[in-house]
Amino acid sequence: MALQIKNLRKSFSGRKVLDGIDLSVSDGEIVFVLGRSGTGKSVLLKNIVGLLSPDSGEIWLDNEELSKLSEEKYFPIRKKCGMVFQHPALFDSLSVFENVAFGVRRHFPTISDEELKVAVSDSLALVNLDGIENKLPSEISYGMQKRVSLARTVAINPRYLLFDEPTTGLDPVTTNSINTLILNLSHRLETTSIVVSHDMHCALEIGDRIVILDQGKIVEEGKPQQIKNSKIPLVKEFLIS
Amino acid sequence: MMIFQELGAGLLFLREVFRTILKNSVNRSALFQQIYLVTTQALVTTAFSGFFVGAIMSVQFNSQLKEFGALSVLGGLATSATIRELGPLLIAFMLSGKIGAYTSAELGTMRVTEQIDAIRCLGTDPIEYLVLPRFLAIIISSFILLFAGLLMSILGGVTLGQLVAGMSPQEYLNAIPHFVTASSVFIGLFKCFCFSFLLASICTFKGYYTKGGAKGVGRTVITTALSTMVGIVLVDWFTSYLSRAVGNLWSS
Repeated sequence: MALQIKNLRKSFSGRKVLDGIDLSVSDGEIVFVLGRSGTGKSVLLKNIVGLLSPDSGEIWLDNEELSKLSEEKYFPIRKKCGMVFQHPALFDSLSVFENVAFGVRRHFPTISDEELKVAVSDSLALVNLDGIENKLPSEISYGMQKRVSLARTVAINPRYLLFDEPTTGLDPVTTNSINTLILNLSHRLETTSIVVSHDMHCALEIGDRIVILDQGKIVEEGKPQQIKNSKIPLVKEFLIS
Repeated sequence: MMIFQELGAGLLFLREVFRTILKNSVNRSALFQQIYLVTTQALVTTAFSGFFVGAIMSVQFNSQLKEFGALSVLGGLATSATIRELGPLLIAFMLSGKIGAYTSAELGTMRVTEQIDAIRCLGTDPIEYLVLPRFLAIIISSFILLFAGLLMSILGGVTLGQLVAGMSPQEYLNAIPHFVTASSVFIGLFKCFCFSFLLASICTFKGYYTKGGAKGVGRTVITTALSTMVGIVLVDWFTSYLSRAVGNLWSS
């Protein structure tokens, strides 16, 4: 298994957000994590990349246990484990080029200016954006900002891509294009992806496996066809919506 | 109870800031950029206020000193009071209103829009990249602004000294060296450092740990303004008391 989570628990002010999560993700898989708002989906991703520390449990990534790592030791983990946030989270004062180059400069300090230019334009081309390198985030649409954010993450060549509600707040056309991008990127870059979402239709369409979270626990897990036949009321609600 | 939790969290944050200073070299270009930003944003208001502080001191001292026939000391007295007390306090309040609110809102917005998390995920320490340049810039800029404010207060004092008391600029300036001693300068600089350190700590800490979206950012700006104002007055009382005690010890 590429990623393995064992009995992961996390509480905030006494409220259990993750209550014993066990999850395994294989190489190259696209796993969708669905659930109501506040069920701990984003917290799960933030625990994997070390933005939050679990109260207990283990997170294994490529045979390395992460839950006890210090901030410094997380540096190489974040190089191979890129996260795309719910907000585009672009740096307002930096141009699109500088935003995409930001992580590349930190993770590949010896990169030349020419190589950097190529890396940035390749990453922007992957998300179908060209010619906006000199624009500021405020000068492009929200959908484009989301794609730049994705380009910024793929620019560091991560093996794992974690998406936190990548299509929230987008119109249906842009939502479709982002979903297609997730699928294409996973195939072209051979990455393993975990996508936190509310979008069951998209999960059924492009997910290899779907996990349903409720009150900090996994209540259903399986391939899209198994999820379609689930008897659990919450899953049925998601299927109807 | 809450206040102790906040204090504890603030001290841990400061420990992190100092640890980062010792561990890494400061990004000079980011630091200069921040110094430029802070100084230019506050320079006009500081200069304007500085001029009128000097002018007010001249008018107030003029009526008092006239009664005792001691008008010749007007320049020295007004400048000494500005250096020791009013200058640092004025700079602190100016910076608190403009830069403290600006910095906490900027960092707070970056926190709630996940930019700080993104910085961590892209392999950079946000304390080193965001907090440190702003923290140091506030402290360094406050000295630059103190100097500018002081010059303007002397100008204000000279102008009003001439208008109200009919005193020549030469007379006004001649009295300054008799009153502005090394200890007054030291006290002024010490206060300036304490106020700006407090302001830098509060606004970066509050901004960095903002929670709760746009509402949270608004709350952060208000609590930053309140905490810095109260903190500055308390630190002023403490440093005044301390400088007096040190002065007494020195003379005995």
